[in-house]
Amino acid sequence: MLRWSAVALLFIVGFLDIYYGNSYAGFFESLWYVMGAIYIFTGAVIASNFEPRFAQPAVFGYAVFLLVLWGTTAIGTGAGLDTVAYVDKAIEAVLAVNLALLVRNSRGPSLLR
Amino acid sequence: MSQTTTKQWSASKLLLVVAVVAIVAGAATGLTVGYSVRYEAPTTRAFYLFNSGLPFDQDVWKMPHDTFSPDRITVNKGDNVVIYYRNIEDTTEDHNFHMDSPYTFDVVVHAGQTENFPVVSTLHGTSDVTIHVNQTATITFRANWAGVFPYQCLIHQPTMTGYLVVLG
Repeated sequence: MLRWSAVALLFIVGFLDIYYGNSYAGFFESLWYVMGAIYIFTGAVIASNFEPRFAQPAVFGYAVFLLVLWGTTAIGTGAGLDTVAYVDKAIEAVLAVNLALLVRNSRGPSLLR
Repeated sequence: MSQTTTKQWSASKLLLVVAVVAIVAGAATGLTVGYSVRYEAPTTRAFYLFNSGLPFDQDVWKMPHDTFSPDRITVNKGDNVVIYYRNIEDTTEDHNFHMDSPYTFDVVVHAGQTENFPVVSTLHGTSDVTIHVNQTATITFRANWAGVFPYQCLIHQPTMTGYLVVLG
């Protein structure tokens, strides 16, 4: 369940990033295309359950990285402060939490120390 | 043979480490971009646009002497553009403002020389507006597409043409 919700969120954020780059960004829009494409690719990786012990934490880190990157860039430049970006980043935050729960579940209690 | 033991991190510890690395990397990159890139966030830019006339005989030169002043409007992609277009003719001559696709605009036409005069007409998503002498049109749109786009008075072609330059 957590895996499929993560996959859905990854695809949603991926396509939203591409839409944002295409329709509005006005600031390094090519990067939004790349970020969106990476999300869609990682969505496929998580869906296929390929190397989950590596892939899931990596995608979690990617989501947190982009959230912080957006926040600090927005502070420095004033870019990316609009409704579409807010929605995109809100979904990204939910995705990060989803992935954190997925990582915890995937690792199982026997490995916890 | 010596046995190697692989130390497993707990999920919480792993998530914490990944999150800290991601936050530090994201903040460092974002702050660097913020300080190093000269960027202006989208804003509202207002322009006053007038018809103008060059001092030559239209009948001799076989073309209208009318031009736009200014004939270049430069904005950044994402900016909200407001153009206060005034017909300042001293004869009863109409002027027009037209933009080709992809741009359309909203416009409010006022009966006098400023926006304080009564509204004559309001159009949404149009590509064309004509104003009479001493009328003012307030044209608004968002510069969503980068490039160079002509704006024209279709009544006075080919001379009355300006260019909207959208920096992307």
